[in-house]
Amino acid sequence: MDSRVVLFLLLSTGFFLSGCDSPEADFRLDRVYIQKTLGEPENGEEVQALTTQLQNLKDVMVGLFGTPDDPHVPQLADVEVGEVLDPQLIRMAAGPVGRHEDGTPRGLYREHCAHCHGVSGDGAGPTAAFLNPYPRDYRMAKFKFKSTPLGVKPTHDDLRRILIDGIPGTAMPSFRLLADDEIDALAHYVKYLAIRGEVERRLVNLLTELDEGEPVLDPLVRREAADVFQEQLGMVRETVGMVVGQWENASAQVTEVPTPPEDWMSEESIRHGRDLFFGTVANCVKCHGQLALGDGETGDYDDWTKEIDDKNPALQAKEYLALGVQEPRILNPRPIQPRNLRAGIYRGGRRPVDLFLRVKNGIEGTPMPAAPATGLTSEDIWSIIAYVRSLPHEPMSKPEGHGIEYGRERL
Amino acid sequence: MRRIHLLFASLALTVLMSGVADAQGWGSIKGRFIYDGKPPAPQPIAVTKDQQFCGDKKLVDESLVVDAKGGLKNVIVYIYVGPGDTAPQVHPDLAKQAPVTFDNKNCRFDPRVATVQTGQTLILSNSDPIAHNTKVDAFNQPINPLLPPGAKLPQKFTAPERLPARASCSIHPWMTGWIVVKEHPYMAVTDENGEFEIKNIPEGNWTFQFWHEKAGYLDTVSMNGKSVEWKRGRVELNIKDKAALNLGEVKVPAAAF
Ligand code: HEC
Ligand code: HEC
Repeated sequence: MDSRVVLFLLLSTGFFLSGCDSPEADFRLDRVYIQKTLGEPENGEEVQALTTQLQNLKDVMVGLFGTPDDPHVPQLADVEVGEVLDPQLIRMAAGPVGRHEDGTPRGLYREHCAHCHGVSGDGAGPTAAFLNPYPRDYRMAKFKFKSTPLGVKPTHDDLRRILIDGIPGTAMPSFRLLADDEIDALAHYVKYLAIRGEVERRLVNLLTELDEGEPVLDPLVRREAADVFQEQLGMVRETVGMVVGQWENASAQVTEVPTPPEDWMSEESIRHGRDLFFGTVANCVKCHGQLALGDGETGDYDDWTKEIDDKNPALQAKEYLALGVQEPRILNPRPIQPRNLRAGIYRGGRRPVDLFLRVKNGIEGTPMPAAPATGLTSEDIWSIIAYVRSLPHEPMSKPEGHGIEYGRERL
Repeated sequence: MRRIHLLFASLALTVLMSGVADAQGWGSIKGRFIYDGKPPAPQPIAVTKDQQFCGDKKLVDESLVVDAKGGLKNVIVYIYVGPGDTAPQVHPDLAKQAPVTFDNKNCRFDPRVATVQTGQTLILSNSDPIAHNTKVDAFNQPINPLLPPGAKLPQKFTAPERLPARASCSIHPWMTGWIVVKEHPYMAVTDENGEFEIKNIPEGNWTFQFWHEKAGYLDTVSMNGKSVEWKRGRVELNIKDKAALNLGEVKVPAAAF
């Protein structure tokens, strides 16, 4: 067998499912990330060492976060974990569909979300392959539609809003009809899966920092080398604290949205917005296209797809798919399309403040950039939004005088 | 069992190393990376966007740049700081770091690789008459600002990055660059001749790591005609006071790319 795929295949089998007979009730290791980060073992000894490390990783993850049927919230001395991850609410969302002994519901996530987002939150549930865009893989802990800047986690309210409104124009439904505490429970569970996923990725990174094959928090190490064990424990704790801390700090970093000027929807403002849309400062035309149909730049991929390979995901995915691995599935890479702005459908919400946040902060995980910090005032952004909102009603003729790719006079 | 002994050894070393950080002596390291084989001719890039401006820039794929004498450009070299290790002490001359510019120029990134210390200013600039966006896929702090012509956007990274972070421009998909972020200033990138030098390193044992965008970690190289294994591109070297450690010619086999 091609040695390059040993690791990938190992991770694809039920090999690392410790003590559970139903694979669905287990969190899967993030095999693409592990393959990409740790590379291929070169000989039998390395395979064995890696196998130990990955089994350790799996055990550490279970120790920290439990299983889908019995989730834990990691205990940390210096972080208020409960604010970010409420154990009570998480128990409501976790587990098989049904009721706890005291009558409270449980299994909300598996009932409403898992068939798209997967039990592990890998975005690869049974229906995922048929959807465009694909359901979100939470494990990278990147979210698109939020009130915070790029690189900052969404707030609890951002997640609540997505659950209540859904994502128009995609398969993500609205869960408006669920009870308020159920929405809260699901939002906490999304955070739980995202935190769990990011901690796993960071622990995989940590493996590359250790000596090759060095066991991690292995019972053997605990017995033989208590201080090494303690040191490793410290690193793991630090990692978890760091990840949870990011979520704790999100609400302090919400982007302030200034009130739009009174005349922001006037014809003059729309014209100004249009000039900016096609101009070199805002430059929306480059991706959204001359007719704003979303056809300006179509060869790029989003970050979840680039995870497979950042240069040529299609080719790499083919290699994985050729292995015949059925579960967990690798979704066929599809290039990301800039939005067709003539459809009048806004995935992150249609309120002016939603659009302001999209244009000001960009859309995380996608090519859509943040507005330039200088050269574009808030008023300018409001004008651009006024123009964008007018687009579905504008005639489709090629905008005159804006056909130039860049201003020649600037040269 | 053997592994655990190894672990102890590396722990002991950690302790040793943090001790060294207070030393008064400073040395340097240099070397030259060579592409061992016949390098492929640089491939021209298909300019699919902004033809008018980018079309005549004779753009080529720069993921592998080798000079006539085999010098390998853009090998990234830095002192590796493992978890729990203390970063090397910073020489007084390096305490204040000038801003580093990462420019969008002639439809490519210039330089292709920029190195910054955490807290140091990186200026994302655009010298072209067309707009670019610079998407940096940093693990800890991803950014993606749009840069209009003439833009100069100061940016700081607060946490070190394990790997060089890829920079790209979504408008001009052929553009690729790399940002290296470490918690100390001891990093370098090989020049056109394949040469690098890092000065003012505290004396003592340090682990150096070597990475190239096409080859990844340089784990198999040859020095003085002998093949050497650098696991994950790492090698521990001793830096002596007032001395320059010269690695000489380090050959990277063509098969690594
Ligand atoms: C029918 C499939 C489907 C179901 C069921 C579904 N989702 Fe989604 N979800 C999606 C898709 C598709 C996306 C990606 C949309 C995009 O990228 O624009 C998504 C995205 C998301 C996001 C990311 C939002 C952001 O800002 O990036 C969250 C959070 C989310 N879903 C949570 C849930 C939860 C919780 C449930 C269950 C209560 C659920 N989803 C049920 C398909 C689904
Ligand atoms: C580098 C390419 C690029 C540039 C430049 C760009 N966009 Fe986008 N834009 C995208 C992509 C890709 C998406 C789809 C993101 C997603 O998956 O949700 C998008 C989505 C959007 C959306 C949809 C938001 C929603 O909620 O559905 C709006 C509105 C938008 N862009 C407006 C703009 C405006 C206004 C500008 C100029 C200030 C601009 N874009 C510049 C690539 C770009």
